[in-house]
Amino acid sequence: MRNNVRIHVILTLLLLALPIVPLEAWGRIKLITLPIRERVEIQLDHPQATLVEEERIVPLVKGINQVDFSWANTRISPDSLIFRVLNDPDSPDQAVKVLSVSYPPNENSLVWAVSSTHSGSAQVRISYILDGLEKEFHYRATATHDEKKLNLAQYLRLKNLANEEYKESSISVGFGDQLTRSVGIDETKDLLVARYPEVVVRKTYTADLAQYGYLDTAKKKLKIPMHYVLKNDTANGLGKASLPFGKTRIFQEDGHGGTAFVGEDWGKFTPRDDEMSLYLGVARDIVVKRTIARKERKRINGNLYNYDLIVKYEIENFKESPVTLDIGETLRGLRAELGYQNQRDVQWELGPETTLLGKPDGEKSDADHLLFHVDLPAKKPESKPDKQICKLHILMKNEW
Amino acid sequence: MQAPYPNEKRMVIAMKRILFLALLVLTPFIIFFGSTATARNLDLSTVPKRNAVQLTIYNSEDLTLVRETRVVSFKKGINPLQFSWANTLIDPTSVELQFPGKAHSIQVLDTTFPHDKPQMLYWNVASEQEQEAKIEISYFTSGISWSADYTAIANPEETFLSLEGFVRIRNQSGEEYENAQVRLVVGSINLVEKIAELAQISPGEVEELEEQNFKVYKRKAARQMMEAPLETFYAIGSSRKDEVAEEPKEVAKEGLGEYFIYTIEGTETIPNGWAKQLRSFEAAKVPIKVEYRYRPREYGDQLVRLYLLENEIASGLGTTPLPNGRVQVLRANGRGGLSFLTSHAIKYVPIGDRIELNLGADPEVVFELIRLKTFRDNIWMQVKGGSIYHKVGSRELQLDVKNRVSGWDEHKEFSQRIRNYTGKPIKVAVRRSYNGDVTFRSELNPKLHDYKTVEFSAEVPKAGRVDLIHEIITRNGHNAKQDRVKLEKR
Repeated sequence: MRNNVRIHVILTLLLLALPIVPLEAWGRIKLITLPIRERVEIQLDHPQATLVEEERIVPLVKGINQVDFSWANTRISPDSLIFRVLNDPDSPDQAVKVLSVSYPPNENSLVWAVSSTHSGSAQVRISYILDGLEKEFHYRATATHDEKKLNLAQYLRLKNLANEEYKESSISVGFGDQLTRSVGIDETKDLLVARYPEVVVRKTYTADLAQYGYLDTAKKKLKIPMHYVLKNDTANGLGKASLPFGKTRIFQEDGHGGTAFVGEDWGKFTPRDDEMSLYLGVARDIVVKRTIARKERKRINGNLYNYDLIVKYEIENFKESPVTLDIGETLRGLRAELGYQNQRDVQWELGPETTLLGKPDGEKSDADHLLFHVDLPAKKPESKPDKQICKLHILMKNEW
Repeated sequence: MQAPYPNEKRMVIAMKRILFLALLVLTPFIIFFGSTATARNLDLSTVPKRNAVQLTIYNSEDLTLVRETRVVSFKKGINPLQFSWANTLIDPTSVELQFPGKAHSIQVLDTTFPHDKPQMLYWNVASEQEQEAKIEISYFTSGISWSADYTAIANPEETFLSLEGFVRIRNQSGEEYENAQVRLVVGSINLVEKIAELAQISPGEVEELEEQNFKVYKRKAARQMMEAPLETFYAIGSSRKDEVAEEPKEVAKEGLGEYFIYTIEGTETIPNGWAKQLRSFEAAKVPIKVEYRYRPREYGDQLVRLYLLENEIASGLGTTPLPNGRVQVLRANGRGGLSFLTSHAIKYVPIGDRIELNLGADPEVVFELIRLKTFRDNIWMQVKGGSIYHKVGSRELQLDVKNRVSGWDEHKEFSQRIRNYTGKPIKVAVRRSYNGDVTFRSELNPKLHDYKTVEFSAEVPKAGRVDLIHEIITRNGHNAKQDRVKLEKR
């Protein structure tokens, strides 16, 4: 601990520890003991607050003792301090109780008045909220060469700006094993929290105009972003806890014993059973041209209309491996594309001319967003890819 | 238990203490002019010490009523007394002198605030005989306050929590009241002037203030709190110094009218500038219920988790209302340590009422509203902007000249999806508000919280999910006849 940092418990033992010490009895000669930290736990499970708990063995005399706790230059929240005696409070050997807490003016300190039925040591735990101990999570994901699995490592980055050193402290993040590390002043530490080998990963290619836009607007070619999608459940090697938000650096095995960096993305907070989607860049070997092939307007009455629409997708896979393409459509976006905008939700039905695989994905679709999966065969070597044409037939009703 | 502080600091504090009561002994050195006592350059005085002092601190205002007793010898005739309060925050208009039990034989003739002597007054006291009398001086001061704090620690299973209540007293009054009986008032009173402001008024303005009714208002507000049992008050001069106080002090609570008074056992000395926290109560095993609530008006647009407990005898509480204060909520982690959950203010909790501790959103519970379907029907057209309407799809006469949609019903089907990844089943209560003429159609057994707010609940098994399906039918335009939500069985 550096000299300028004074977190310590001072047990002030007057030569005779009187039951109630009159102010007049505070002489200039006094003896203090400095109980050292026996153990420290740093609790990082709360998203906003860091709780530090430290245990010390405090020698007490029979009667009333003054326990002085001060924290010069350290960012402790004084109202959060809790002093707990871990000895059995009903023990016949020694009952220890906190009587009061005094707060001196203009000092970062407080004084506990602690009564003890016998002289002896008491194990106490002092808990407080500490500012300045900053934490963030980050990940390192290494995909197998065939991009079917990921080795995912989860790290905690701890930045100690609290101006206090914590040696050999137990660090808990609320899940996984507790870690024991020292954290020095102004030190930044990366701690491996968990390692998840062979996490099943799905590589997706997505065509969704409303979400990702065009790659070539004039030719109506859509941008096709690629993602690794990993589901946070036990079947896929995860599912032990929510995955916190954090930057993910993504590597891929190169097939020769090494790895190549393929990009990075922010991993969103992912509850169990949800999916974390990591953006990899835009695919160049899958081309999707999207056009409105039909727009028919039928007047029901007055200014009330129905619309009959067909969205056409011309898809080419230039890869020599089969892939699944996700096609997304947003109904409000489609209506706006036709030149109509209002605040009402779109009333729609799938038309009979739809050639996309029957029903939309039930889990990922709702009343305004549709997601279809289209299997694309591999391109045959030395030949052009087959152009696959899919249609989405939408009957938009009761618009005005 | 007295708060420790160095002798040096104590000396400094003592230097700026109230000079306090100076009994100007009748000697030839004192010259009277009329009924007002003034002193010339050469004075002789005696300083009777405080026998007892009582502080009654109001947490709703920056106001403390101080009552102190001293024993003074009076001669027969006129006895001048000087009272001064340099560098303190005493309201000069509130200072009163009384003679408990001696009302007939001794009385105050007048009170004078000298124009050139700040923070000082003189009393001329007439005594019918030579006697020793106990005097009581009372006044209001600002700068002493108290607040309540609570620490709640739940067991790992979250079925019980230990709740400790504390009172924290802060003394910034400029004066040290040694060995004072401390009483804390829970409740709010009306003041027409702040004591801290009155304490700053120059002595020259005091007489002017006297003509106003400030004093009357303040006295009236605090009078009932002043009626403490006198024997208790006068007995507090007996110090506890020789006792071994091995238990936290008891804080006795009693109701008085609309107020509650907490009286701290024994006496306390809180040096100027210091604060002191004392335990007010401890309830070791208060049963709690965990409930999840979605109430945007109260908690924002999120599902929050709450601990619910009752301020009742069965919980180990229920003997006193809980004053508003700050509660720190933690949970034992089963390894001897704690996890911090939240810290927030709680409002005054009457006896018998529920205490709600909002722990915020729980990342282990996912709360989503998913719109499944929309359709419109019952569409009415207005003919040429007049007062002729017809319904689309009806077989009756259809006019189709510049018709415009004038009324329609919008049906929206939702799933309120709740996924529970905690290790135990949870109870979720949802409130959703709708504007306009709305029908809420479901099998959820909902009820109306108010005319526009529907309330429904569900239990979600551990590691499970529920989809609370409901349909909202909103009547728009010409179709809207009401402004309320109607519940309908699906």
